[in-house]
Amino acid sequence: MKKFDTKLAVDGVDLAVPAGSFFGLLGPNGAGKTTTLSMAVGLLRPDAGRALVLGHDVWADPVRAKALVGVMPDGVRLFDRLDGTELLTYHGLLRGLAPDVIDQRVTELLDVLALADAGRTLVIDYSAGMKKKIALACALLHAPRLLVLDEPFEAVDPVSGATIRDILTRYVAGGGTVIFSSHVLEVVERLCSHVAVMAAGRIRTVGTLDEVRGERTLEEAFVEIVGGRTATGSELSWL
Amino acid sequence: MALTFAKLKLRTLRNGFRGRPAKILMFVLGLLGALFYGALAFLLFLAAMTAGHDGLALAPAYGGTLLALAWLLMPLVWFGVDETLDPARFALLPIPKLVLLRGLLVGALIGVPAAATLLATSGLAVGAAIEGGPAAGAVGAVGVLLGLVLCVLMSRAVTSGFARALRARRTRDLAAVVLAVLAASLGPIQYAINSGAQSVGMDRLESIARVLGWTPFGAPYVVGQDAVAGDWAAVAGRLALTAAVIVLLAWWWSTSLESAMVGSAGDGGGSGTGPARAGSPTARFFRRSRAPRTAYGAMLVRELRYWLRDARRRASLITFAVVGIFLPVMLNVGPAAGDKQLPMAVQLLTMVGVGTLASVGIANQFGYDGSAYAAQVVAGIPGRLELRARAMAYSWLVLPVLLSVVALTVVLRGHPAELPAVLGVPLAAYGTGLACCLHLSVWGAYALPETQNPFAINTGTGVAKSLLAMAAMIAGPVLAAPVFLLAAFGGPVGSALALPVGLAYGLGAAWLGALTAGDALDRRQPELLAMVTPKR
Repeated sequence: MKKFDTKLAVDGVDLAVPAGSFFGLLGPNGAGKTTTLSMAVGLLRPDAGRALVLGHDVWADPVRAKALVGVMPDGVRLFDRLDGTELLTYHGLLRGLAPDVIDQRVTELLDVLALADAGRTLVIDYSAGMKKKIALACALLHAPRLLVLDEPFEAVDPVSGATIRDILTRYVAGGGTVIFSSHVLEVVERLCSHVAVMAAGRIRTVGTLDEVRGERTLEEAFVEIVGGRTATGSELSWL
Repeated sequence: MALTFAKLKLRTLRNGFRGRPAKILMFVLGLLGALFYGALAFLLFLAAMTAGHDGLALAPAYGGTLLALAWLLMPLVWFGVDETLDPARFALLPIPKLVLLRGLLVGALIGVPAAATLLATSGLAVGAAIEGGPAAGAVGAVGVLLGLVLCVLMSRAVTSGFARALRARRTRDLAAVVLAVLAASLGPIQYAINSGAQSVGMDRLESIARVLGWTPFGAPYVVGQDAVAGDWAAVAGRLALTAAVIVLLAWWWSTSLESAMVGSAGDGGGSGTGPARAGSPTARFFRRSRAPRTAYGAMLVRELRYWLRDARRRASLITFAVVGIFLPVMLNVGPAAGDKQLPMAVQLLTMVGVGTLASVGIANQFGYDGSAYAAQVVAGIPGRLELRARAMAYSWLVLPVLLSVVALTVVLRGHPAELPAVLGVPLAAYGTGLACCLHLSVWGAYALPETQNPFAINTGTGVAKSLLAMAAMIAGPVLAAPVFLLAAFGGPVGSALALPVGLAYGLGAAWLGALTAGDALDRRQPELLAMVTPKR
């Protein structure tokens, strides 16, 4: 649970992410997705409740828990006055990896994410999509068991999006767990095994993709669960 | 239109305070302080106009010049510019440039410093009205208002000019030199005041005042006196001079405004792709550094790189270098020193100040990082390790400057025997200051706006910055007092012992500070992240 001043941003979220699942956290803007994920990885202290990562309490035993997670926060700056290679190397060293492991993984990651050419450009001069990719690389570098990604597909061009999808699918196939927030429903529908829908700080629905979707498309299910409005056609007639 | 800007500014200010009692408290404290000094200066200027005393009659010229110089230099070396109304936000609106300029100026005029200045200098207008009747009062008021506009415009134009220079990496060295020259202009003022203080004679003071009265700094504040004396030609001349300078400054500001509005979009040419460096990623990361290939070494190297690459951090380093170098020069070469040198104890006291000043740059180290600090939180870096690396990197850059200040002081004073004391005292003060500032950086961090202007700060944080730095500036020297007392009053033995004792004392203090602040950091990581993340 998290309160900002008087506004209850997240209220009693009880979410179990099965190990090995590809988990999509859906919700309209302001639903509390980012707040929930931030509390789960130790970026934001909850007012009540706890978060467990593979059995380790994030707030009671942060060192163990944080070593198992790779995080890509949204709307957070990177150390953007380093260039791409420097940034990745820095993250590897922070995670305590050996230099030769870092050398190999950094080169490979830059290659796969098509950032090798930009390895010497300062991250501050990257485009939005490139920043997403380098942030994802930072989260992957120490081979975590769990990936927590906040809006990984926002501002990413289709080609990079496909690359990211590939990497994540392979990661899950290899036994990793991914939870990510998004409102790009078609990506969620294509990738996820499990889905949860949040609105106004609460979990509205949770289950496997088929359970949540039922007979409808995910979009129809989402709008119905969240309670959106449908245009009647009479408003904005001046446009 | 200008009214709209004024309303916008007031509303942004008000909304910034909503639900943040600490910020309101800071603001009120700043307001009270400004009122106090403004009222003091008001009385001084009033007395200057009405008392008829020769010495006091010089106050408008000197006081006005000092005030104008403060407006010119304070934003550069200390306070930063309130960018509540960031020009970049108006880039997409169809506003004619002249209207925008006027609006931004009105916005800049609304604020505590401007109000305090107006309060202080209005003493001149009131005084002129009492002495010379309503006509003289009116002339004085016009002078005071023009003076205020001049001050505000000058600070805006100069900072945005500098911001542009510091942003481009190529011109940063040039900017450093210009900044140094600007700060050096403190010297002549110091010179003038001191030569006055040494009673060189009223004649000389008056001749300097006459010159000041014809510079744009002093001119608007002297017209009241001219009017009282009936010298209308001088009134016209000075007002014309002021107006001309205002127009020039406005023009300069408008040119740099344009680049500020498109700034962030068109920027980025500075970095480009550097020269290709061979080697593996880690080899490239560390380059020639021999730091350990661990998390500690990585943080050390990144911090070093950030102090040099981040315009804000660079500005704070340059400021310390300039102030640190000029302080001993002014004290020992300027007229203050005169024929006789400063007593040793006083000299050591200034060295305590230099040591403390050296440590203050780290007081908002997490604020410089902003939300990028999240990377450290997510990685679960132990607080002690983090602070040790940061303190080490900062000291690596600042201590050479500190040592050159010491060397300069010893050379200027010409007593090599004083070296142990002159070196030991600032080292101790730096250590204790570092300990205090490490704690400050954990407990009292504040967010900096994400603009390209290294001088920009959020409204109200100027006061917060001053109060926090003040706390460190008091606590640091108090903690370093034992070494100072030993060096200053311990006779030759104490003076010789000051170096080893000071070194050990400073190291111990910094080490203890890093330990205790590191433990605090472990408990406060998410809170600290929230404090340094800029509100949108």
